[in-house]
Amino acid sequence: MPSFRVNVIIENKPEISDPEGDTILHDLILKGNHASVKKVRSGKMLKFEIEAKNKKLAEKTILDLCNEFRIYNPLVSRVTVESFDT
Amino acid sequence: MSLTRQEYTTLEKKIGRTPNKLELQIVAAEWSEHCSYKSSKKHLRILPREGARVISGKGYDSGVLDVGDGYVVTIHIESHNHPSAVEPYGGAATGVGGVIRDILSMGTRPIAILDGLRFGDIEKDSHARWLFKNAVKGIADYGNCLGIPTVGGEIEFDKCFTNYALVDVAAIGFGRKERLIKNKADKDDFVILIGGATGRDGIGGSQFASDTLESENRSAVQIPDPFIEKLVIEAILEARNQNCIKAMKDLGGGGLSCAISETADALSVGIELDVARVHKREPGMSPSEIMVSESQERMLLITDRQKLPVLKKICEKFRVPYSVIGRVKDDKMMQVKVETNTIANLACNIVANAPLLDREASEPEYIKKIKKVKKPNTPRNLSKILLKILENPNIASKIWAYGQYDHEVGIRTVIKPGQDASVLRLDNGKFLSVKIDGNSKHCYINPREGAVGCFEEACRNVVCTGATPIGMVDHLQFGNPEDPEIFWTFRQSLEGLTEFGKYFEIPCVGGKVSFYNETNDGPIKPTPLIGVLGLIEKDSPFIQKITDGDLLFVIGETKDELGGSEYYEYIHNIVGGVCPAVDLRTSKTNMWALLEIINEGWANCAHDCSKGGLAIGICELCIIYEIGCTVTMDKIPQVKLRSDETLFSESHSRYLLAVSPKNVKKVVDLLDARNVLYGLAGKFVGSRIIFKKNAKTVADLRVDKAREKWLNSVGQLVKHG
Repeated sequence: MPSFRVNVIIENKPEISDPEGDTILHDLILKGNHASVKKVRSGKMLKFEIEAKNKKLAEKTILDLCNEFRIYNPLVSRVTVESFDT
Repeated sequence: MSLTRQEYTTLEKKIGRTPNKLELQIVAAEWSEHCSYKSSKKHLRILPREGARVISGKGYDSGVLDVGDGYVVTIHIESHNHPSAVEPYGGAATGVGGVIRDILSMGTRPIAILDGLRFGDIEKDSHARWLFKNAVKGIADYGNCLGIPTVGGEIEFDKCFTNYALVDVAAIGFGRKERLIKNKADKDDFVILIGGATGRDGIGGSQFASDTLESENRSAVQIPDPFIEKLVIEAILEARNQNCIKAMKDLGGGGLSCAISETADALSVGIELDVARVHKREPGMSPSEIMVSESQERMLLITDRQKLPVLKKICEKFRVPYSVIGRVKDDKMMQVKVETNTIANLACNIVANAPLLDREASEPEYIKKIKKVKKPNTPRNLSKILLKILENPNIASKIWAYGQYDHEVGIRTVIKPGQDASVLRLDNGKFLSVKIDGNSKHCYINPREGAVGCFEEACRNVVCTGATPIGMVDHLQFGNPEDPEIFWTFRQSLEGLTEFGKYFEIPCVGGKVSFYNETNDGPIKPTPLIGVLGLIEKDSPFIQKITDGDLLFVIGETKDELGGSEYYEYIHNIVGGVCPAVDLRTSKTNMWALLEIINEGWANCAHDCSKGGLAIGICELCIIYEIGCTVTMDKIPQVKLRSDETLFSESHSRYLLAVSPKNVKKVVDLLDARNVLYGLAGKFVGSRIIFKKNAKTVADLRVDKAREKWLNSVGQLVKHG
């Protein structure tokens, strides 16, 4: 069975504020005179390695698992998955 | 938007024209149950509010009590139930933030937080565990970041809170009397919004809280940012010291529209504001979004032309964002503009005063039905039952929760959480004792007696630290008030609290009503929560201990009142029976006698009997002080009861006292003189807790074993399910 690396990125939904990202932007980046940076959003990434028949199934299994264990709160967070062959 | 047709007609009639969309949204936010108290306001007037220590003023968001020497204590209580039920971490954290700003808005420094938490059955329900775990973490993270100690509270689990959460937060403030904000405004004063930027979060939150919780209606999520709150606190206190603040209000439910209309109405002025000047987090927000946004960590200030530059400088020093959003007028109108265009223009007294409602009330059917229950058989092995109740999450130590809270920061906390009430040192050398208590199980069976019981329990806890109760706050939480049966339970609770408060002359200095607490399975049980403040006017607080050979006094009578007890509900799964009732006279006699004994210094330790009954009260003493106790049950003042009933009945007005042999006679004489029912019922000795009746052992536990169960069960449940 092929093996995949699945990255799950959890971040606050776009309409919900992100104090951590704002702080990094205002108190570090903009103070350091990098005015070209317009926005920073913070998040959390989980890297999974999983054996599955194909990429799609690998992503589905991981997403289901995140939902089952309530690894994020679907009301607050947006979750995106990206996967790679290992 | 949730204006009823009738309210809409009333509004039209009052303003004499058709309101535009923005005006409607402003009024809908302010006229929601959450902001307007339209169902409860008429009834709340019965509560006693006057007292020698009470200081009241217009536009005060918290209760103020004079504690002498030019100092005041402020207290406020609020809940954040709906937001916490959908996002426990952020909901609980922003709940803490909100109540702290109420304390701040008086011009006092927040010095302590207490919280009352309620969830479903965490033993069986993993969602309830998830809510519990994250709500506690939210409170801990927020309070700890701010450097304000979380000094106490209480936690209850009941199936009626399945898929829901009650998160109540009380905060205490302290300051100089002359620095209290006077709340006045004159024409042409400036209106300033300081703190976090206004975003789209929490839009419509106050209406959300006034609607029952439906799955699709869960957008009102607020994100906490304790660091900006900390800056707001420090900036405001400095502005207060430099006399820059003429009036102040925090932004809570209903956002700007409520803060503006309520401030203007309370001060009898008008306010003109320009939404374009509000500092915003995201571009493209509509005026109505700006007006009703419930973004956190914001305060509204009024200052004059002379002080405005000073205030600006202070904000810049602390790097707190601010914007000068408007001016005070003398026409009592709330005028909202975008630059020069007026987009809403309403009379403040119309916006701030929703038409009050007369809700119907009728006694619920269930109350009569559950009064009579078949008594369970006495279990054969009461030691085992006792151990089982000790590890029941409702009884077991909540150290897993309060262990995450910094309860000492600020170095005022003299008596820490985990015992009766917590005690804080004040700058005038006195001590403040605080406790909040609730009991939904009792209140379900008898809303009136249950509520009185919570009030008495909070008083008992405070008195056990040697403090005299000086004020109370109540938080009345019920289901949908449109249901006459639920409204009846609200009125009953309120009447009970009023009677007790008047009898004891304890003024109600603040409070809140939260309706529409409904889950998918129906309304929550009536859950009034009572916070009591007590004052210790002595040089040192009552430091408790128990030494080998101390004698156990049981004060107060144990009655056949097992309805709503942990024993009935947790062990036998019986919901019903007769719940404990407070006899006002006995309550007062016992309370004052106990206080006298503590003040004379005759007691080594005092503890009240509440959830779990006498047996649990005694076990808690033995566990905390790591000592055994042999109890002669025949000596316990009681009506005729079975052994299990004596051990687990939750009758009120009872206290446990540990007294050195040399002081026994003094205590006996005093109790006799005051006509108090008491029993010299045991001796603290050895390493076992033994209950004996007619010289036979009824229950027998090893202290270390009981301690292990009591201390660790909640933590283990959360960690391992």
